[in-house]
Amino acid sequence: MKRRLGIAVLGTLGFVAVLVLLRSHGDATVQDREAILAGASARHWAGTDDLGRDRAVRVAAALLGCCGAVCASAMTTAVAVAMGVGAAFAPGAVRGLVLYASDLFLALPWLFLLMLVRSVLPLALPAHWSAVLTFGLLAALGWPVYVRSLAARAEGLRDADWLLQARAGGLRTRQVLCTHLLPQLQPLYRTQFLLCMPAFLIAEANLGALGLGVSEPLVSWGTLLQELGSSAELAATRWVYLPVALLVIVLLSMEMLVPED
Amino acid sequence: MRRCFRWLGALLLALCAGGIGMAAHAEQPGGEIAWALHSEPRTFDPARVDDQSSETVRYLTGGVLLRVNRVTQQTEAALAERWTVSADGRTVLLQLREGLRFSDGSALTAADVVASLRRTLDPATGAPVREEFVQPAAVVVTAAGQRGVRIQLPQRLVALGKILDEIAIEPAAHFGDSRVTAGPFRVESVKAGECVLLRRNPFYWKKDGAGRSLPYLETVRMDIVSNRERERLAFARGQYEFIDNVPAEDYDDLAKSTPGARDLGPSLNTEQMWFNQASWAPLPAFEKAWFANVAFRQAVSMAIHRGDLARIAYRGHATPAYSFVSPANGAWYNRDLRVRHEDPRTALTLLEGAGFRMAGRQLVDAAGNPVRFSILTNAGNRAREKMAALIQQDLAALGMQVSVVRLDFPALVDRLMHTAAYEAALLGLSNVDSDPNGMMNVWMSGSPNHQWNPSEKTPATEWEAEVDRLMQAQAALADPRERKQRTDRVQQIVADQQPFIYLVYPNLLYAVSPVLEGVRFPRCSRAWFRRSIRCGAGRVGDDGDWTAAAGAVGGGLWTRDIFA
Repeated sequence: MKRRLGIAVLGTLGFVAVLVLLRSHGDATVQDREAILAGASARHWAGTDDLGRDRAVRVAAALLGCCGAVCASAMTTAVAVAMGVGAAFAPGAVRGLVLYASDLFLALPWLFLLMLVRSVLPLALPAHWSAVLTFGLLAALGWPVYVRSLAARAEGLRDADWLLQARAGGLRTRQVLCTHLLPQLQPLYRTQFLLCMPAFLIAEANLGALGLGVSEPLVSWGTLLQELGSSAELAATRWVYLPVALLVIVLLSMEMLVPED
Repeated sequence: MRRCFRWLGALLLALCAGGIGMAAHAEQPGGEIAWALHSEPRTFDPARVDDQSSETVRYLTGGVLLRVNRVTQQTEAALAERWTVSADGRTVLLQLREGLRFSDGSALTAADVVASLRRTLDPATGAPVREEFVQPAAVVVTAAGQRGVRIQLPQRLVALGKILDEIAIEPAAHFGDSRVTAGPFRVESVKAGECVLLRRNPFYWKKDGAGRSLPYLETVRMDIVSNRERERLAFARGQYEFIDNVPAEDYDDLAKSTPGARDLGPSLNTEQMWFNQASWAPLPAFEKAWFANVAFRQAVSMAIHRGDLARIAYRGHATPAYSFVSPANGAWYNRDLRVRHEDPRTALTLLEGAGFRMAGRQLVDAAGNPVRFSILTNAGNRAREKMAALIQQDLAALGMQVSVVRLDFPALVDRLMHTAAYEAALLGLSNVDSDPNGMMNVWMSGSPNHQWNPSEKTPATEWEAEVDRLMQAQAALADPRERKQRTDRVQQIVADQQPFIYLVYPNLLYAVSPVLEGVRFPRCSRAWFRRSIRCGAGRVGDDGDWTAAAGAVGGGLWTRDIFA
């Protein structure tokens, strides 16, 4: 029931976002310079920001931008599964190396790493590359969190009688992996995938608020939340809280997707 | 034009001068005044000041030979009690006061003055003020006895008093940290990223009318607060006595709750963007060719809607700008300036004439390279970030793809001053002095602060050579009308060539706490003095040094490459 509710909310938000973007021809950067920090109207359903950009369109773009977090979550889960299963079936030295590498990654000051990466990149980096880079980095830094649990679970399966029997029966590694191991691991990595999505969304929002995430003119939660940094804008219109309200709803809905068991 | 922070320094001195305006401590010595610096001072060496926060510290700690009165703009005696200038203007003799001492109690002699001046003139020091001597290598400084100093110049310098106002005299054996000073305060402690604490110099030479030593205030605390919201909250809680340069977006709200909030109209400060034209910049050759092309620069200038910048980015607290001299500076503004106003159509025509063409919705150059560049600005300055976003859309109408990059100030300065790894920048120049001499370091082509193409060995273009000649000539002329003619010509050249694309003149916005008494706004002149602050009038008496001339510090590039 909870999962269905989460799916329904996310689906509805996505549907409305698509409609809003279709209505505006998908351009979230158009500045209506005669309507700065305007309230809701027929022209601007949720008002405008301090540059006259339609807030509803920008929020809709940010909602669809959640796909970045989904992709990053999928990538990091895939890497974590590969590393965990690889560590479980590899010789002891390789296993130790993989787990050591994951610990090393966990200890990295990732915020500084992101700043370092951003500073060495060309200044005129196209906005879509900044999005790819941001979510790519999040994916690259997110996998170590789950490697140990996946490796432990895979080791348990590796030593299970039924798997030994399957291997003794002549099943090839690929068959063992696809037919037996990954389905057995699925509850674990699916949960981790679902947990990663909101985590990455929040991480991007934080980075964006610091100016290190997805860059303008692309819209992201981070760029939208920057509006909250100005008390003058907070006082100007209540619609400025719309992004944060929707972000909370999206995060709660994502949490609902995670199975309780 | 001179660095803007000065008004801040002068205001601070006025406030520090004696709890002068503090309601609770009216005539009592001691006490503390506090406010926020928006960035950490990059240096405490008064000779190497190149940022606004450092300049504030220098102003409060540095003892100078002559001081420019911020209200009257007249040069007044400071460490030097009198001075004489020869008929040809090339020899200046200064006589030091008797019994001068540094803050550690040691004697201040002519030898210290000579050492300080020579250090400033030494190219190895890298003192920004050096450029204002026009031909610094030919300047000779010698001692004439214990209290006499002779300065021999290769040519007359009409603004020598203002130049000396910027050179802090330090002990010959203790240069560079502002801990031993001849000014009203000395640096007591520095907590990186937190605060700078100044303590009163007990040996400062100045006395009040009753013979009491100045300054009255015991300490000055300057917190490093880059977050303007935090500064505003601290001000509201009474932790700070004033806010320097209130952000335009906050001003209207602040004015509702603070009686001491003031909008004093257009300042002398400018906000501008420029393209990197340095020959050694690590940019592709085709980009350098765009930026060196005057038609390209003019087209960009004509595509920008400056009225929108003032109205949206500054909430109306700014005026569109087309020249480095603000119309508020009536004495030097060129009223006959011919400027190109907003006209995107003509801009496209200009670009086509320069070999650019539209390929779909994208502008490309003659070789087919898409016109795509980034504009660099400092993170945290909302007005500049908004201007950059507005310009981004304005230039999109010409088919230019612009990305806006916000960097923190150290990273920004590194790119602008050292690596030249940027395409375009959007920053401000803060001017206090209405005289064009203060901008020598920006306009002289050999200056490291000639931002679009720093430290040229010889002028890269004929018009830069002409600007050099004109600026040197006006610096040596005694006749104000002749100086004005040459400055007008420089303004016209700059308007034609657009090395800086001027955007707006921000208004002077600030807020003073109600605990400060006697703050008033003299109306003695239309331009600069109109926006000065005088504090504690009853207690500052005739002491011009303690009288504040104020102009809001518009965080930005200083006229002499002082960043903020």
